[in-house]
Amino acid sequence: MIDSIIDKVNNLLRSPTTKGVVGFFDDDHECVVAATKMREAGYKHFDAITPFPVHGMEEAVGVKRSPIPYVTFVMGLTGCSAGLFLQYWTSAVDWPVLVGGMPMFSLPAFIPVTFETTILFGALSSVAAMFAFNKLPKVDPPVLDPLLTCSRFALWVPSTEPGYNEDKVKAFMEELGAKDIKSGEF
Amino acid sequence: MAHNHISADQVNPGKFELSNRGKTIFSVLSFLGLISFIIGLSTNKEQTWHAYLLSYFYFLSLGLGGVFFTAIQHVTKAGWSVTIRRFSEAMGAFLPFAAIGAVILVFGAHDLYSWLDVEYVKKDPILAGKEAYLNQGFFIARLVVFFLLWLLFARVIINRSTKQDETGDKMLTVKNVGTSIAFVLVFALSYSLFSVDTLMSLEPHWFSTIFGVYAFAGLFQSSIAFMILVALYMMKKGHVKGLVTMEHVHDLGKFLKAFTVFWAYIAFSQFILIWYANLPEETIFYYHRSHGAWAVISLALIVFKFIVPFIALLPRWAKRTPGHLAAVCVLVMIMQYVDLYWLIYPNFNGEHASFGFIEVGLFMGFLGLFLFTTMGFLAKHKVIPVKDPRLQEALDHHVSY
Repeated sequence: MIDSIIDKVNNLLRSPTTKGVVGFFDDDHECVVAATKMREAGYKHFDAITPFPVHGMEEAVGVKRSPIPYVTFVMGLTGCSAGLFLQYWTSAVDWPVLVGGMPMFSLPAFIPVTFETTILFGALSSVAAMFAFNKLPKVDPPVLDPLLTCSRFALWVPSTEPGYNEDKVKAFMEELGAKDIKSGEF
Repeated sequence: MAHNHISADQVNPGKFELSNRGKTIFSVLSFLGLISFIIGLSTNKEQTWHAYLLSYFYFLSLGLGGVFFTAIQHVTKAGWSVTIRRFSEAMGAFLPFAAIGAVILVFGAHDLYSWLDVEYVKKDPILAGKEAYLNQGFFIARLVVFFLLWLLFARVIINRSTKQDETGDKMLTVKNVGTSIAFVLVFALSYSLFSVDTLMSLEPHWFSTIFGVYAFAGLFQSSIAFMILVALYMMKKGHVKGLVTMEHVHDLGKFLKAFTVFWAYIAFSQFILIWYANLPEETIFYYHRSHGAWAVISLALIVFKFIVPFIALLPRWAKRTPGHLAAVCVLVMIMQYVDLYWLIYPNFNGEHASFGFIEVGLFMGFLGLFLFTTMGFLAKHKVIPVKDPRLQEALDHHVSY
């Protein structure tokens, strides 16, 4: 009974696998050079997997800039106006209380909270957007090779690549100088 | 990295020469400054000293800002900024002239600081209470100490850097770390007190404990803006091809944006505490500045020293587009002038602002002198520290997104 529930949950969480070809490289520089050549050869959907952030890899793979800053900006503005409106409505409209002879709507006194709500909305929505854009959380990330978190660098071409042909991709990887090439479903 | 193939041992920057045209312009500017100073002193002595203090403080801050930027690069052992460090060092070359300027300032001090008037202080119990700090002897003694320290540190830190160009001795970089840490500490205290002495004491009854930080915020914001302008100019003239790139300028742009926010944060911190407490001896400062022409300038500061530069520097492209970035830098530098004007002038004028040829003339004079010393320094030395041990890091510098 419990086993079958676990299986069902597991199946729900399991992301679909993709066939593809993966080529391994021994150092970050070779991998960047290979990725640049691959992009120049017209590949669109390939990815690079490295154990640490590699300078210049975004440009080499052709990764577009993240849309997160726009989310942050819009949500920051939302937080700014929401915070200001909340204070205006509570202290000047719904329950006006005279404090220290200052006007009901005292902008200077409202700035700190407005600032905080701007930051709060901006920050939380940035994190949320990061999760959404990266399709996180992911419980079963594909493991192309355990050493990819340690000492190896790889380029991955999924079968969703337009005009995908496994043998052609393998031949191209070899041309790029991949030390080890394997294909499979991940 | 892949896109940059310059190796640190092959670096050979072009020689920057101060053109005859540049020399002429700078000399004419300085000369005009001197003329208007003399004319001003004989026609309107008081206002001339106000204008002198304004322009003097402005350019002294730029000079100190350059040394401070240099020092924090050493303290943090920064690699990315090696190729732009010479620009900030060059700004420090103005400091010896600033020391002479301080001597001149002492001659005008009686037209600026009411607490120097012994009779007046005697009649005023508050000022009498502050006499232990605000008196002529101690004031001059502080100026002497500050300038000795600033000149000493600037000379040691910058000379090591230029000496390294010749010898390539890596120990000079190591030694500069300790010296820079000492300078940063000395600078924090001395510049705070200096701003209290020269600006805050213009209204000796008033006090604000955050005033030094406020002055520093303006110093750093305008210094970064000036550095960006120098970097963009040198890039345009092709003296630093492949050595100073858009990557460095982009990071300086981030600095400018960060310290634009910092200025606003400090300015607001100062304001909110005084506004909230609502004590007459504190609110007098903002009372002056929220009436008549000063109210307009106060609003202009919020809009053009914070909101406009902040939004204009927000997108990534804005920090990587030379024309756009230069325009923002010029705006920031103009607003730094307005900010100092706003700190100094309401103490003397009533509700109306006054601005005339004396202010313009003295600003031009200091500008000419400042550019002469800064650009002269760059012409005298290599435009980048060619033998810095961290040079390769700066050449490979790359801002990822």
